[in-house]
Amino acid sequence: MTAVVQATAPPTAPATTARRWRAALRRPMGLIGGGMLIIAVLTALAAPLLAPYDPYAPVRVSIQDIFQAPSGAHPLGTDDGGKDVLSSLIYGARVSLIVGFTAAAITTVVGGLIGIVAGYRGGRIGIGLMSITDFFLVIPEIALQIVIVAIAGQSLVNIILVIGLLGWATTARLVRSQTLSVRERKFVQRARAIGAGDAHILRRHVVPAVLPLMIANTVLVISLAILSESTLAFIGLGDPTVISWGQMLNFAFNRGAISAGAWWALIPPGLAIVWVVLGTTLLGTALEDALNPRLKRHHLEKDRSIAIPRSPAAPLARRAAGDPATVLAVRDLAIEFDSPSGPLRAVDGVSFDLRRGETLGLVGESGCGKTTTILGLLRLLPPGGRIVSGSVRYGDDDLLQLDPAEMREVRWSRLSLVFQGAMNALNPVRPVGDQVAEAIRVHERGIGRRGAARRAGEMLERVGIGRRRYGDYPHTYSGGMRQRAMIALALACRPDIVMADEPTTALDVMIQAQILELLAELGREMGMSVILVTHDLGVVAQTCDRVVVMYGGRVAEEADTARLFADPQHPYTQRLLASFPDLAHPGRRLQGIPGSPPRLDAMPSGCAFHPRCPFAFERCPAEVPPPFDLGDGRRASCFLVEQGAAARPSGPHLPEAPRG
Amino acid sequence: MSGRGRYLLGKAAWALIVVFVVISFNFFLFRVLPGDPAKAGARDPRLSPQSIIALTERFGLDKPVFVNLEDGASPFDSQYFAYLGALSRGDLGMSYAFRDEPVADLLGEALVNTIWLILPAQVLSILLGTMLGLVAAWRRGTALDVVSLTFSLFLWSLPTFFLAILLLVFGSSYLDLPTAGKTTIGAQYASFWEELFDIGRHLAMPTLAFTLVLLGEYMLIMRSSVLDVFSEDYILTAKAKGLSTFRIIRDHAVRNAMLPMVTLIALNLAFTVSGAIQVEQVFSWPGIGDLTVEAISQRDYPVLQGAFILIAVAVVIANFVADIVYGWLDPRVTHA
Amino acid sequence: MAEPVAVVRDVEVAFPGRRSLLDVVRLRPSPPIRAVDGVSFEVAAGQMLAIVGESGSGKTTTANLLLGLLPPSAGRVELDGRDIADLGRRDLARLRRSVQMIFQDPYESLNPRMRVADVVAEPLRVHRVLGSEAEVRDRVREALGEAGMTPVEAYLHRLPFELSGGQRQRVAIAAALALRPKLLVADEPVSMLDVSIRADILNLLRALADDHGIAVVMITHDLSTVAAYADRIAVMYLGRIVEQGDARSVLSDPQHPYTRALRSVVPVPDPAARRAPQVLTGEMPDPSRIPSGCRFHPRCPLAFDRCLVEDPALRRAGPDHAAACLLVEPPAEGDPGA
Repeated sequence: MTAVVQATAPPTAPATTARRWRAALRRPMGLIGGGMLIIAVLTALAAPLLAPYDPYAPVRVSIQDIFQAPSGAHPLGTDDGGKDVLSSLIYGARVSLIVGFTAAAITTVVGGLIGIVAGYRGGRIGIGLMSITDFFLVIPEIALQIVIVAIAGQSLVNIILVIGLLGWATTARLVRSQTLSVRERKFVQRARAIGAGDAHILRRHVVPAVLPLMIANTVLVISLAILSESTLAFIGLGDPTVISWGQMLNFAFNRGAISAGAWWALIPPGLAIVWVVLGTTLLGTALEDALNPRLKRHHLEKDRSIAIPRSPAAPLARRAAGDPATVLAVRDLAIEFDSPSGPLRAVDGVSFDLRRGETLGLVGESGCGKTTTILGLLRLLPPGGRIVSGSVRYGDDDLLQLDPAEMREVRWSRLSLVFQGAMNALNPVRPVGDQVAEAIRVHERGIGRRGAARRAGEMLERVGIGRRRYGDYPHTYSGGMRQRAMIALALACRPDIVMADEPTTALDVMIQAQILELLAELGREMGMSVILVTHDLGVVAQTCDRVVVMYGGRVAEEADTARLFADPQHPYTQRLLASFPDLAHPGRRLQGIPGSPPRLDAMPSGCAFHPRCPFAFERCPAEVPPPFDLGDGRRASCFLVEQGAAARPSGPHLPEAPRG
Repeated sequence: MSGRGRYLLGKAAWALIVVFVVISFNFFLFRVLPGDPAKAGARDPRLSPQSIIALTERFGLDKPVFVNLEDGASPFDSQYFAYLGALSRGDLGMSYAFRDEPVADLLGEALVNTIWLILPAQVLSILLGTMLGLVAAWRRGTALDVVSLTFSLFLWSLPTFFLAILLLVFGSSYLDLPTAGKTTIGAQYASFWEELFDIGRHLAMPTLAFTLVLLGEYMLIMRSSVLDVFSEDYILTAKAKGLSTFRIIRDHAVRNAMLPMVTLIALNLAFTVSGAIQVEQVFSWPGIGDLTVEAISQRDYPVLQGAFILIAVAVVIANFVADIVYGWLDPRVTHA
Repeated sequence: MAEPVAVVRDVEVAFPGRRSLLDVVRLRPSPPIRAVDGVSFEVAAGQMLAIVGESGSGKTTTANLLLGLLPPSAGRVELDGRDIADLGRRDLARLRRSVQMIFQDPYESLNPRMRVADVVAEPLRVHRVLGSEAEVRDRVREALGEAGMTPVEAYLHRLPFELSGGQRQRVAIAAALALRPKLLVADEPVSMLDVSIRADILNLLRALADDHGIAVVMITHDLSTVAAYADRIAVMYLGRIVEQGDARSVLSDPQHPYTRALRSVVPVPDPAARRAPQVLTGEMPDPSRIPSGCRFHPRCPLAFDRCLVEDPALRRAGPDHAAACLLVEPPAEGDPGA
């Protein structure tokens, strides 16, 4: 399904790392975080200028000077030693930041090196390094820090080294998994096939791919290092000769700030730590988000997929003109997607009928809208998709007019979908049989758990998987078996209509034949009508009764199979057939269509095919050709056939209605 | 052997190896690293002469460090093996600061107190964190989501000890809660429940501090995990089957979203230790953390050493338990 | 026939299998997985050989062998007349220049951060064949032109995400051509491209063979493409070649039951075609569990008793046509050919 989103959504523009980061910094989280961090750094740098007193200078104090409340002379009061809190606060920034940045740098270098070596070399070295890393991950860092500092001494250098050297494990883990995934990518394998050595591959391919994430991670490590330093200082392991925020809190807490009510000695240092940590966390998270953009949308968002005004009277009117042998009638279906450049039409006025018991082929290439169309029929559009017009008549109802609860009833029990049996189409942590039984239980209320399980077992038996494998998990199934399981699932509730989306695309030829045979058998047995979405003209020729050819979100041609192949009318169909190899006629010279199928955000004006059409003339870019009726259920959307059309343009079986 | 058996055996073996390495590493740290010589054995003025003799005997302090290469002596007659032997007997030496008290006793008592503190807090934060994370993900973009995101990020950035201090001040000023210790000093209890109640009053703020510290992170991770799951293909399949959103979440999303959580909780155990140390210090709660910090300031090396082993081993065991739970939840890892 | 560009003789590739705990305890070595189990073929200049098989048949491993990415556990691989096992690292690297590969996935096989000019120049820079940057630039332009990416100037500075699938594949082909290879190994070069643009890419590969004399080995599972483009075909099943020879004669009259079944189930874009599809049951077994005797016998509709014990070698079934089946009767002058 992510393939659907990718195929129908335009590519996101900033693909280079630099551009992504700049975008990240413009978003509020990055901006705020970066700003906070900059303020902290500037404060640290300009400490001598900003601080009213020098906290390192020795002062002679008397009892009254300790824990003085804020006043003109001391805007934040004084601490347990009579020193000005504000000045200590400002100078404290230096220590926290120095420790944070230096320790983070050490962590990144050490962790990064180990991670890259472990990830790239793999094998025994990799396993060995990872074992050491896992060891350090398990051992509580703080325990090690405490022990080592206690033994080795509390100097700032020691603290930096300890924090830096003990924090590498998480970074190493992260870098290793990133390196591993980059190493497996095809362009790295290609570099190896070219003959490139490890040095070249690392320098040119692996490191540039891993570095951005490492840098984003370093920013987050800075926040952890600062937290570590302040914690160590608070529990008494800080360097007593320097002022740090943790140290300030240590002294304040242990020397009676609470009982003295001296909140000014406690709150500001704490808030200062929060300031810097929050700033780096925001910045680091923003950078990470920019590098690994999570798909912003998901399947369970609030359903806003219908944007058609309700018209309860319409279905009846259309039914009067309907053909009783038609089980599904799609009229003027139009579907849009949100995109950064505005709404894009993925399906633009598609109409077709599905007759009872027939197999209808929906044929086209990437971006033609065939998958979006069938998803739209079930109202299962990916997030950001919207049906903006049309009707889908099934029985007495217009599926697009049903409310969500009614639609849920219709789904699966009347119309179901065979997804591509990709690894993730089934829930990986639940047994396959249960997932089939679940569908049955949803739609047959009275059946109960055991009944549903029995029916599911029968279904698995029927598709050739066998009842024995009911309790197995999807990852134990082979590719062919997973596809059979998807079929069992789709047929579990005995629907009237089954739609299959490229059911055999990723499968080997023999398994493909098995699956298609199975589908045909079950279709006949259960009296179903099938919509088969595919790009394989051979499959269409062998299995479909009628064909709808789609291009650019519209129907290019519609005919029964024999006539489509014998005498195609639309230039796209003609050229498509001319480019498709035929095992029975191997000597035929094949010719592709120049250019490529149009992208949704770059749809040509008028007829979507005109830039690639050998017969295009002036009218083609200017007007969108409607489907011309050529009789016998044949329609072609091309001005060239207008002359041959029997009547003026009309939709299938509809009384002549003015086209909008 | 079944896949599950192999998985468990592998994890158990790993845990044992780690524990062994930790113990040896501990030995190395304290006896071999340069630094204060008192750390290495019994040369601390606070020990009584009898204790010094006993310790030298039990820990082989007059023997070579690693392996005994002298003629006629068994190679195992060394400090290292004496140390291992003592450990197996539960003998962790004597405290310097607590007047010859066995370290094992001190640690045992402290451990119980720490568990009092950590366990309810962990359970609460896991429950609340996962629930909040789930709701925030489901209602992404709404006010609830934004508020809880901000709140969680802020909690994450608060150093634990600072939060503890704030809660301590708040608790004592406004709720009249005690500020230190496990029980009120010198109190006499009429019944067991009274004592429990007193402990409870002392435990309230520390537990709250601990819960909040963990809550933020759990909520953030659960939220992003749930969002990831919501965009998986099998959720679309479930939707296509006609299941209601509630059923999809309950029967498909939750279990998958919990998987990264289990890993996180396991990884977080080390962080928990750090938090425990800080919270105990602020509230003077007599747990392992408090004991450790005391030991630092007193340079009580045997206690420090024992605490280190105890903490590390506890975390290893907890990780092993997390591995078991993960194996139970995700059938893919135990696939033969 | 000219000196073959590549010769593969009785080659085997075995991977160590998974060891169960029991095996480790009993100190038993695990049974090796024979991905390639005795394969022989030749490729001549200007010829296109199609290696056909389902997943698990060993066709991808064979491709890796030709590239020298994998050493054979047994047998010989000769490139340009030289056995690659005899070559040291330096010579092997130099030999690699004559063999280049085109991958299946045009979206993944180009580094998203590298511009087209750099992608095509990379092999030249790695092998340091040309003297100056100017020469590299000229060669890059030439290769892009040969691959049909014209006007060349328009594409030099593009990033992959700006190109369509077909264009990316052409860039990959140009990069492969930069070193003027003698052998091109194309692994499913068009299976991830849109149907209407496949023909042009395949026509390009054919032209490279015809006009430039490059030998092309195409790995594919699509028999229709093979029929239209390949000169010769080798059908693989479970690590062996079960049938090979001239593409037309093999596909018009297959001798091995597997090939016959495969051919019969290929969907043909002609609704009127008469078909008797032999849909085999089951799936090809895992290479770790190779059946005894003829490895195809469990699924073979014509299997008889001898098939369970005898493992047939390739037998001559016609001029340039051989099949490994006990039912194949060599023609009268029987001289077992390859």
